[in-house]
Amino acid sequence: MTDAKTPAITCRNVWQVFGSGAKQALSTALSGSGNDPQGAADQLLKGGFIPAVQDVSFDVAEGELFVIMGLSGSGKSTLIRAISRLLQATAGEIRIEGEDIVAAGKQRMIELRRNTLGMVFQHFGLFPHMTVAENVAYPLRVQGIGRSQRMAKAQEVIDLVGLGGREENFPRELSGGQRQRVGIARSLVTDCKVWFLDEPFSALDPLIRRQLQDEFLQIQAKLKTTIVFITHDINEALKLADRIAIMRDGRIVQIGTPADIVLRPADDYVREFSKDVAKGQHAHVRSVMQSGPDAPVAGPDDPGLKTGMTLDAALARCMSLYEPVPVHDDSGAIVGTVHPADLAAALQADET
Amino acid sequence: MTTRSDPVAIFRHQTPGAQAALLTVLVGALCLALEPVAPWLGAWPTAWTLPATDWVGTVTEAVLQAIKPVARWFSRLLSYPMNGADWLLNITPWPIVLGVTTAVGWLLGGVPMALLGFLGLSFVLASGYWSESMNTLALVAVSVPVALVVGGAIGILANEVPRIKTAVDAVLDVMQTVPTFAYLTPLLLLFGFGPVVGLIASAIYAAPPMARNVILGLERVDPDIKEAAIMSGGTRWQQLFQVELPSASTQIMVGVNQSLMAALSMVIIAAVIGGFDDIGWEVLLTMRKAQFGQSLLAGLVIVVFAVVIDRMSGAMATERKKHDTRVFYGLLLVSVAVTLLFWARLPNPAEFTALAPVADHVDQALTTFTVANGATLDAIKNGAMFYGLLPLRIGLDQAVLPFTWGFAWTAGMSAALFAAGAGLCLVLAWRGRLTSGLMVMIGVGVLETGITNLPWPFVLTGAGALAWVAGGRRLALTVLVLLSTILVSGLWDRALLSLYLSGASVFACTVVGGATGVLCAVSPLAWRVVRPICDMLQTIPLFVFLIPVLMFFQIGEFSAFLAICAYAIVPMIRYTRHGLVSTPPDLIEAATATGATPWQIMRDVRTPYAAPTILLGLNQTILYGFAMLVIAALIGTTGLGQSIYLALGQADVGLGLSAGAAMAILALIADRIVQGFAEERRQALGL
Repeated sequence: MTDAKTPAITCRNVWQVFGSGAKQALSTALSGSGNDPQGAADQLLKGGFIPAVQDVSFDVAEGELFVIMGLSGSGKSTLIRAISRLLQATAGEIRIEGEDIVAAGKQRMIELRRNTLGMVFQHFGLFPHMTVAENVAYPLRVQGIGRSQRMAKAQEVIDLVGLGGREENFPRELSGGQRQRVGIARSLVTDCKVWFLDEPFSALDPLIRRQLQDEFLQIQAKLKTTIVFITHDINEALKLADRIAIMRDGRIVQIGTPADIVLRPADDYVREFSKDVAKGQHAHVRSVMQSGPDAPVAGPDDPGLKTGMTLDAALARCMSLYEPVPVHDDSGAIVGTVHPADLAAALQADET
Repeated sequence: MTTRSDPVAIFRHQTPGAQAALLTVLVGALCLALEPVAPWLGAWPTAWTLPATDWVGTVTEAVLQAIKPVARWFSRLLSYPMNGADWLLNITPWPIVLGVTTAVGWLLGGVPMALLGFLGLSFVLASGYWSESMNTLALVAVSVPVALVVGGAIGILANEVPRIKTAVDAVLDVMQTVPTFAYLTPLLLLFGFGPVVGLIASAIYAAPPMARNVILGLERVDPDIKEAAIMSGGTRWQQLFQVELPSASTQIMVGVNQSLMAALSMVIIAAVIGGFDDIGWEVLLTMRKAQFGQSLLAGLVIVVFAVVIDRMSGAMATERKKHDTRVFYGLLLVSVAVTLLFWARLPNPAEFTALAPVADHVDQALTTFTVANGATLDAIKNGAMFYGLLPLRIGLDQAVLPFTWGFAWTAGMSAALFAAGAGLCLVLAWRGRLTSGLMVMIGVGVLETGITNLPWPFVLTGAGALAWVAGGRRLALTVLVLLSTILVSGLWDRALLSLYLSGASVFACTVVGGATGVLCAVSPLAWRVVRPICDMLQTIPLFVFLIPVLMFFQIGEFSAFLAICAYAIVPMIRYTRHGLVSTPPDLIEAATATGATPWQIMRDVRTPYAAPTILLGLNQTILYGFAMLVIAALIGTTGLGQSIYLALGQADVGLGLSAGAAMAILALIADRIVQGFAEERRQALGL
């Protein structure tokens, strides 16, 4: 996933502390605790400050769908606002396509927002006095693009999100799901390269949510933008993410692929989350197989496991087998083995 | 070691309310006991008074003189649009004014609004006060845009520069609590006699509601919408004007509505300056001549204006439907066509006297009525004065005379009253309700002494203690300092007079309004009857309240009392009902499920839950009462209101400003204390 190219987003030791004089307080706290984030955060809390995001570091690769998951109050919304510079980070380094946006000036931020960044909000943030088409075209309007040109472009994305025919409606005339489609369309109208989504589906009812998640994945398959996606729903995170960062009390407690999170939770907190998840549907054979040269030859009873199969599917194929079985990659070549007992064990791993 | 018998320890053990009441009772008793030997405890000696009023006058006049040239220039500048608007409204043939109003009504609210506009202006036309009305309208038409621009700019500025917001809030508070008449005196000096003063005063008075609503509206824009505008790459200017202000438009329209109403109210009040021949002047003139029929008619014209302006601008805030513009142009065309068609035969609006006979008739009927029922009306008035207002004002010991009550008050009666109070107090204290008992004691003391004769240390202690209970040490200190300034500036007696009249009115409003509110909460039918009355009372400009009370009860304190009550009772009714009906249904269901009767639910669930809202209503009632108190000075009250009104007549800036400030101080103190209690209740309920 990571390659030699510059990551689309880089965060290094990002802090967001609320309270007046936060910057000064943070540097005092950090030097007082010998750069220990935990100690510094405790000290800040005692001083009446709110360290909403503490010492967060991660990279997001170009085209990656990076999900930040946490409960309310964990600092995930604050973090995405620091990255999109809706908030000025108190300390740390945030780079988007290599450019330091903490230091970027006002004018440069406006330019970045016009060309590079797009954002979708939990409560949609639709402008009540504008029609669907005007809402979607607004990011083009602020750039001074002529009406016919921006309306044509808006029409494209309105069709992309399946809202054709509702262009002249006002937001209040739409259902929740439709409103968020407008929000998505508006954030896409400028062909952004980095796309922030702040709990975009949380305010919707479960059926609509699932439908929009699926459409979102289709859109992403088409556009391949870099995405930072915030959610409090572990199932949503597992369904969408390339990688997931789990936040708790302002800190990231684990970053990993969905399978990592489910199968190898870093601590009890993460384990607690993954408990309710049907692991067999989220973890893949790849994550439990032994890769190596001593792969057995495919026998007559080879169940034909593939690396990308979910554990559930794999287990269904080798229920009655007691010997290690080969695992194939997409081309059919054998790349490793897995013992059926390991498959079953992986599902049981954290049930204690 | 402190023991149970240590009085200090016992004192500390009490609730803050009981401590405050105890302290007040002690100070009161001390003052009463020491008064014979130390008369300065009763009334603040004149020798100790600072000539603060003169100082204020001198300083202000110096400042005013300095900026006078600029002001006069500004005044001339404003007189152009004003005269222009006046000329335009008067030169425009009345069918066109009628047509435009109807058409605008259609655009704003469809058929009902168009009808309202048409009927309203037809009434104005028929009343024969057309040209006076157009003069008033011209003042409003110029002052409101000024107020909207200035208020809007202040609101936006406060939103953009958060640092100045607290300061702006404070200034807006003061601008709205300082009585309207108090503005007029310095303005008079600055701009000279004439309608421009009314114009500027009404612009000053109408700007704060706009500023407040702009601030509120911008604050309430959904954060997601603000962030979406930022992320769309808008500049701050684009965010503000393309997204935030339009999103806040509903709230801003509420501001426009309030601004219009404030301007209209002030324009009419400013008629006391005279010189513009507007409708307010007409009311004043006919009232002075005791032509109540005509005065009522002119007053009704004002009410019609107020209702039309209020409902139409209100529709801007609520109406979402778009109305066909073809009808709008059609109505305009019709009015132009009618004008052209009947150009030669178009009657002069002054010739419309359809309602003049009615006015005469009403006038005569009123005279007949008051003559026939004079005895009854006098009995009502005297009853209220002798048994209610007078004892409250000067105390039972002075109010009870053979002439009023049929017997003379003796020292023995005083002793008996105090003994009865003390007895009740002890009973209550013994049953664990010490605070209530002490309040009874305080009430007895006030009734015996009379509000205007209360010893100043007692008033200071009482107010300070109340403030301490409501809002802690800081509020208590503020209250003490503010009251002391009134005390030393020599306005104390007048302040107590104002306190007495507004106190009596607020008390009456609380009892009657509260009861009405409860009734409306339990009976939807009652609310259906009361609601339009409340709407109407709130729309009518303050001035108009004076007409009916004057008709029946002549000039005097009782008339002022009634006028204040009529205006100030509305918030009490509204808030009480609103508080009671907005109890969450699950609370009521839970209470019902435990087997509570409707009465128990009302007493134990709905009333406590509504308490903060009801307190806010009380707060509004107090502020309304103070606002009306000054206007009521026109029909004979004593106290600060009268001073402000007199200062206007004598162009005495010092007195006008000081009395206005004293009035604002009383209003602010009452406001903060009640707000403090409301806030405490809200927190206790976790709201």
